[in-house]
Amino acid sequence: MSITDEFTKGLWQTIPPFRLVLGLCPTLAVTTSGINGMGMGLATTFVLVFSNLFVSLLRRFIPSQVRIASFIVIIASFVVIVELVMQAYFYPLFKILGIFIPLIVVNCIILGRAEAFASKNNPVASLADGLGIGLGFTISLFVLGCIRELLGSGTLLDIPVMWSGFEPFTFMLKPPGAFVALGILLAAMNLISQMQARKGGGR
Amino acid sequence: MRDIIKMIIVLTIIGAVSGLALSLVYEGTKAPIEYQTIKFVKEPAVKKVLTGYDNDPIADRKKIRIGEDERGKPVELIIFPAKKAGATFAVALEGKGKGFAGLIGVMVGVSKEGKLLDIGITSHSETPGIGARVSETFFTERFKGLTTDREITVDGISGATYSSKGVMSAVNQAIGYVNKFSKEIF
Repeated sequence: MSITDEFTKGLWQTIPPFRLVLGLCPTLAVTTSGINGMGMGLATTFVLVFSNLFVSLLRRFIPSQVRIASFIVIIASFVVIVELVMQAYFYPLFKILGIFIPLIVVNCIILGRAEAFASKNNPVASLADGLGIGLGFTISLFVLGCIRELLGSGTLLDIPVMWSGFEPFTFMLKPPGAFVALGILLAAMNLISQMQARKGGGR
Repeated sequence: MRDIIKMIIVLTIIGAVSGLALSLVYEGTKAPIEYQTIKFVKEPAVKKVLTGYDNDPIADRKKIRIGEDERGKPVELIIFPAKKAGATFAVALEGKGKGFAGLIGVMVGVSKEGKLLDIGITSHSETPGIGARVSETFFTERFKGLTTDREITVDGISGATYSSKGVMSAVNQAIGYVNKFSKEIF
């Protein structure tokens, strides 16, 4: 696969969390608004890109018996860096995302990409893979956040957009609402894929 | 044997380099983090509850000892004074009360005459859309102008009784401090 393919596969073919269905914990928990989703996505992207890069650079030096431990140390370091930098420069977002920033350490997307991709491929491809998957994750969280924000609080990126008599259904801001929104998005994506497959002359 | 030594060396190096990098980032972000905490958590609330001052309450903040914890370390309370022509006429301070999910922090403005100026929620983890509504103006303005010589009660928000009570107990805690340490505060 070319570098462009490595990058673009994360945006549709294997877009997390919809296609890989990984990293659902932050996906469901923090997407109460578009901005929150995007912040979480970008923080994850940062960690993913750098952990992919370093795992790939070090892949020949790390003995396979201790690779998982090494990956976790690398990932955890970048997570703490993200946490400190966010606290220092994006404090309001840091407050909202709260515990889900340190929990990026155990996000299976990141460890999954380190294990399945970066430890077997060269740094450039790993960088492209991390960037693609990370942006895919960011877009997913942003879209999910926008839908929940629109229905749950009647705003879009903190700007009221619904008509004046609109009564927000706060259900969408709660965990069950997250599952419902995720389910509907998954169904929509599967429908689109199916239609694409039919257009392309069946399976 | 060689494998084991290699594992130990690789893990040690990775751990040491990570530790070094983290300590550098920590040192670099320490000052901005402290500044951000005061700016985003305390300052908006202080500005909301105090008006008509000509000093900088954040820069003039002072700490008073309100007691000791079980280890004998002093427990300090931060007071943000509002001054006009050098005389303190009101203060802002933070009280905490138990809400539906954890503690609710409330910044309370109290005038020297014992009137409640305004309150502002500084921190909470209440349910979005229900308990979190205590931070909205329609609720916080119910506290305006009450006198601080007796316990404060206001009408709670229906459906958010615990959160409303948490705010009330936070306000009462702050007022309790003002009444108890009024000499040091004003």
